[in-house]
Amino acid sequence: MVFTEKIIDPRELRHVEGKIELYWIYTSGEAGDYFFKKLRDEGKFTAAKCKKCGYIFFPPRIYCEFDFSETEYVEVSGEGCVVAYAVAYYDKNGEKLEKPEIYALIEMDGTNGRIIHLLGEVEPEDVCIGMKVKPVLKPKEEREGKITDILYFKPA
Amino acid sequence: MAVGKKDISCPPYVKGREIELEDLKEKKVTYVEDHPDIRYSFTAGQAISKFLKGLKEGKILGVKCNKCGRVMVPPREFCELCFKPINEWVELKDTGVVETFSISYIDPDARPLEEPEIVAVIAIDGASPHMGILHKLGEVDPEKVYIGMRVKAVWKPEEEREGAITDIKYWKPIEG
Amino acid sequence: MMVEKVKGIKYHKKQDVAIVGAGMTIFRRRLNETGKELSYYAVKQALEEAGLDISDIDMVVMGSAPDAFDGVHMKGEYLLDGAGASNKPYVRVFVGGGTGVFAPIAGYWHVASGLADVCLVVCEEKMSSSHPHPQSAFKYIWDPILDRPLKPNLIWIFALEMRRYMHVHNIKHEDIALVSVKNKANALDHPAAQLAAKITVEDVLNSEPMALPVRRLDVSPPSDGAAAIVMVAPHIARQLTDEPVWVTGVGWSLDTTWWTNRDLYFPRYVAEAAKMAYKMAHITDPRKEIDVAEPYDPFDYKELHHMEGLGLAKKGEAPILTREGVTARDGDLPVCPSGGLLGVGNPIAASLGVKVAEIYWQLAYRAGKRQVAKEVTTGVAQAWGDLMQVGTVVVLSNKR
Repeated sequence: MVFTEKIIDPRELRHVEGKIELYWIYTSGEAGDYFFKKLRDEGKFTAAKCKKCGYIFFPPRIYCEFDFSETEYVEVSGEGCVVAYAVAYYDKNGEKLEKPEIYALIEMDGTNGRIIHLLGEVEPEDVCIGMKVKPVLKPKEEREGKITDILYFKPA
Repeated sequence: MAVGKKDISCPPYVKGREIELEDLKEKKVTYVEDHPDIRYSFTAGQAISKFLKGLKEGKILGVKCNKCGRVMVPPREFCELCFKPINEWVELKDTGVVETFSISYIDPDARPLEEPEIVAVIAIDGASPHMGILHKLGEVDPEKVYIGMRVKAVWKPEEEREGAITDIKYWKPIEG
Repeated sequence: MMVEKVKGIKYHKKQDVAIVGAGMTIFRRRLNETGKELSYYAVKQALEEAGLDISDIDMVVMGSAPDAFDGVHMKGEYLLDGAGASNKPYVRVFVGGGTGVFAPIAGYWHVASGLADVCLVVCEEKMSSSHPHPQSAFKYIWDPILDRPLKPNLIWIFALEMRRYMHVHNIKHEDIALVSVKNKANALDHPAAQLAAKITVEDVLNSEPMALPVRRLDVSPPSDGAAAIVMVAPHIARQLTDEPVWVTGVGWSLDTTWWTNRDLYFPRYVAEAAKMAYKMAHITDPRKEIDVAEPYDPFDYKELHHMEGLGLAKKGEAPILTREGVTARDGDLPVCPSGGLLGVGNPIAASLGVKVAEIYWQLAYRAGKRQVAKEVTTGVAQAWGDLMQVGTVVVLSNKR
């Protein structure tokens, strides 16, 4: 027993509201900046190849995480194939979506890398693992150098 | 022989690309901005709930450890030194002594304040030595504040108190 | 009930621990690189200096301060690949500002225990991600019920501690400002430095007031940066170098979180940590036995405060030693020869690069223009953090 006179009326046990008022600006970094500018300005996709072991990272990185060697940029098609997918019926706050969204893990052709993105122009029941997909970009004037410059991937 | 297989005569050799906030504004480098909306509800617990209720009633409540005898404020459920539960409440005075103080020109986001404010640790009368709380000083010229100055709480009117540390508006010098 | 045990801390270890390489990035207010990329730069350099490959690394320790700076929760995991820790035993440690010296202490456990023969220690901070200001992230270290409604800025507690320190020992601001003058000048010789400058005591005293007695030039800047060191067992060190630098003592301690209940004039948290580290290193008279020191200097008075906590000066004596030039790079007890956080910058945990790494470079006689004038055998690095509460201490020596 801690206090001999405990507060037992729950209305007397206080709560204090708080809010995190920070916001963040994340730079894309050296490799990220190269990747997003190529995507924004030229609509091209870039991967990075380890100069030592030849592993090809997508998205690109300035270093190979396995042997810590430098990498070099290589251009890739941006096409790939679905290795896993999920169909979301609710958004991140638990609100029901008007139309289900399909998220896929896509292995990028010519690389060892995978990214997660939306699938479009396809119904959930028609998606399958191994399906070939290609990116659909925003019009050039709307592109900002962000991952959302890719609207979605559609069946190739 | 130098340390390591590779001789680096004057380490560190260093890398990094410096940028300015303007480079972001002018979109010279790519970035993502995120404004999260994260809210919390902090439970005050037994000791602080009662402390806050005391403030609403215009009282400062402390606790006493019956092992080491320390009278502590802010109150707590257990003595962190003896690691024993506490079960004695002590009503303290609403007067005290300035332990240390600062004149702040900046707000929590490092932006300049319109008027500088005086913040202080105030050792509360009736508690053990150096038992202070963080608060503000008022009705005093910043130049005239000194360590050891005796001060008294200036309370909000009773109807405006809500059971918060800000029920004390500030502490002012005791005349004489 | 009490179990039967000998009181106090044990100092049993399986093997000795040496540092054989270190690296760091430049420290700047804003860097384009991601935290992973900064970590990579620092690790790459530390490995090159050590003459090791990433495949030689057994385990990795990451040190990084609040997630709120980078804006990435689980920051340790996020930084993993840049720290060279893929598929290795990896842990992130965190004691606020004390992390830069705590991470090497954790690295020491890994090697001294015999669990690892080669342990990489990496520290990273990208404070520029946090807006409207990095200081805004500190809003959330205060007690949410009792302190935060008063709208505090972190600088308040430094100002309150500085005032108390000045009051108890009757120290003038002029004497404290000398630390800022010295460290910013020392930083002119550091290739990573962010705020190296020739300034005067008057410049400090006339700089913009922040939370008096703290003025703009009393404070280190927010920074982005990373640093790394390689810690190894004796049989590895022997293969790499004839002159390793040994970790002879480590210590850490935290005082109560009820910081308004303590007399702030003396850093008991540092004194307790130093006591532990000195006992392990068999140091009985630190002022005589320590040749060079890198105490944590996020504020100029903090260097003095910490020197006293480390027993390098008697209580209230540190400003006198500073005024007499004892702590200058060519003095009898050089303090912050790197330029410290005041001159090189303060990417919280990455201060590893100007604390433990600097003492390593000094004791290996590899600090170039920063090399202190006197002969050096033993050095101490220290950091401080959390809510005015943690002291972390590492003692290094070029003699085993």
